[in-house]
Amino acid sequence: MADSIKEVKKAKKLYLFIGTLLFVFTVVTVMVASVEWLDFGGHGFDAMDATIGLCIAAFKATLVMLIFMHLNHERPMVYFFYALGLVMAFFCMWLIGWSISDPIEFGNESYSDGFYDPSKPATDVHGR
Amino acid sequence: MEIPFIVNARKDTGLFNSKVGIWLFLASEVTLFGGLFSGYLFLRLYADYPWPERALPVLPGLINTFVLIGSSVTVVFAWAALKMREWRKFQIYMAITLVCAGLFMVLKGIEYNAKFGHQAVRLQGGGPVQDNAIVEGHLHYAELNDEGLMVEVDEDRKKDDGVFKANRVLVKASELTFVLTRPTHEAYVKEILRQAGSNHKITLAESYRVIDKDELNAGKMNRDQLSNTEKAEIAEKGEELSIDLLDKLEDAYLEARSHDRKIRTQFLAASWDWIRNEKGVEEASTYVIEKEIWKDRRAEDAEKIKILSLRAPSEVTFKVEPVEPVEPVEPVEPVEPDDSSFTLVLEPGDLVKKVNVGDLSAKLRDDTLVSGRVLPSPVIMGVDALDFRTTAQRAEVEGLDPFPVIEGTWLLTHEAHHGNHDGHSEGSDADHRNEFKKIWDCHMAWLRAETERLEKKDRVPTLNDKFRVNWDQILAYGGLGYDAEKVYEESKARTLKRSGLFDLDGFAGANHKIHGKKFPHLEIPRANVGFESTFTPKWNTYYAIYFTITGLHGLHVIGGALVLGYYLFFGRKMYDSNPEWLANRVEVGGLFWHFVDLVWIFLFPILYLM
Repeated sequence: MADSIKEVKKAKKLYLFIGTLLFVFTVVTVMVASVEWLDFGGHGFDAMDATIGLCIAAFKATLVMLIFMHLNHERPMVYFFYALGLVMAFFCMWLIGWSISDPIEFGNESYSDGFYDPSKPATDVHGR
Repeated sequence: MEIPFIVNARKDTGLFNSKVGIWLFLASEVTLFGGLFSGYLFLRLYADYPWPERALPVLPGLINTFVLIGSSVTVVFAWAALKMREWRKFQIYMAITLVCAGLFMVLKGIEYNAKFGHQAVRLQGGGPVQDNAIVEGHLHYAELNDEGLMVEVDEDRKKDDGVFKANRVLVKASELTFVLTRPTHEAYVKEILRQAGSNHKITLAESYRVIDKDELNAGKMNRDQLSNTEKAEIAEKGEELSIDLLDKLEDAYLEARSHDRKIRTQFLAASWDWIRNEKGVEEASTYVIEKEIWKDRRAEDAEKIKILSLRAPSEVTFKVEPVEPVEPVEPVEPVEPDDSSFTLVLEPGDLVKKVNVGDLSAKLRDDTLVSGRVLPSPVIMGVDALDFRTTAQRAEVEGLDPFPVIEGTWLLTHEAHHGNHDGHSEGSDADHRNEFKKIWDCHMAWLRAETERLEKKDRVPTLNDKFRVNWDQILAYGGLGYDAEKVYEESKARTLKRSGLFDLDGFAGANHKIHGKKFPHLEIPRANVGFESTFTPKWNTYYAIYFTITGLHGLHVIGGALVLGYYLFFGRKMYDSNPEWLANRVEVGGLFWHFVDLVWIFLFPILYLM
């Protein structure tokens, strides 16, 4: 991390550059969602748009973490904390996924492959 | 004792104390927001209704993204200024950061306000999919006329006394029955008394009496033989409704109930002792469950309990009466019951379940029964969007072509409303389509042009394209006089005027202040109102998770701004004594601020663009 005045001055230029990059990538995200010739995949929102949007967001988040939050200068201990948080977040996700795999609650036809399918008959929680 | 590592980092970890703290805290925040994001994911994947895809106006979200990114840069600059011991620059950068935080919250407020004021109604009706068309728009206003019926009034009068939003349920109330065990009467009683006004009084229909316990214990065991005069009178017939009176009756009822409960417990205990002595402890429990001998004993008990208990009524009924008794003009004709009642205006959310015109009662959320007659209570609104996606989804489930099903919905088939804003008038060659059918026909023309255009690129229209008519489309079709052919021509030539991403008109949604008159007027009979709500968590799970995540994020913005503001306004003393320490603090506050930005980096595309 920048500690001497010289290093801080140098770092300020980097911050400005990263800030600009974040602006640019925000514009790119919006364009991908709204400009037709940049609309990858099918017309309108689809999995391709979701992937691109989230990849850009992840890239922007990485820039913020590495540069603004000085993670690029930190020692492994901070990464450990951060990883802990991520593991817990994925644990939350897994918990919900686990509850949804419950055959009593979701064991009906319209959820048969795990996703809601309106073309299959919906039944109540007891499979009736 | 001096605490180590406040200013300088510990050699092995490379961290000073507060940084360890903030990173542990941020790890817990990652978990918190991670849980909410996964909540969003699963709500979306498992939604059994068409997810409101790209439903929010993008511009406020986009500006907010820029604002937060900008503030992330300024907060790190503020820290750098401290490192270089430039107090003045620190102040400027930190002040800009705080202004950004304020701007973010103002924009959020504008967005929230637009949602709270925007109404949606899911219609219900016959047909193979029970209609399920959705209309969105702004509620109009109404008041009661001399007959106690609803009449629409101009929006300018919305703040006048007696003016209400035109989605209320009107009940001609002649009797009110309160359940004494509900402790939530107060708000309703106040409102009912306010609406009854000075022309009507609400009085107890029958005296409320409870048997005196002393009388009962004095040997007058048979409750039914006690005359009314021997019962303790708690309230006399004709007493006026008030919160105090209900409280008094509730106390009397609860006291009587606890007396009855004691009696029942005594008898149960006695019976249990009896069977235990009779059969022994081991066998007693089987007897309790199965054998007639126990049941006979309990039946005997029941008779005695009936005699000994007070059995106070748990409900009280009040009658609505005019203050000045109505004198029948001709004594031969009976007085209309309506003369003594008044119109109670209820919010739909106050009712336990939906009512229809002509129903003889309506139940409030505290179980109070309003008896009388439900009057015509249409929902009147200016419509700025039609959404048939649910209808289409249900039709597909039934294996039907969605378009004919949509054509058959109430919205497109009900009789045209006359005197609407486009100056439609009836003549011999009048167009018998209602305004919404005209809009839909224009939309079909637009869709035809759009489908042809996309086909050339090997693409197909989305569900939104097909089944949803947005506010800007309604305005565009209206601008062409709802002429489907013109709409097709203009769509084909791509000259149809629609709202762009950066248009300030429609910044946070359809602008009824500017375009109010151009949006079609709709009066929905109560029977056709399936579900109604503003765009709040009540409407669907999308808005539930939207408000949960953005609300929590907004609280983080406020919290972060408070901390950074503290450094700005109260940091000078520390700066003079130990500037490095202040720099460390600002760095830690900045870390939190970057995290807030980081969450928004994900929130923006997920909520606004997907």
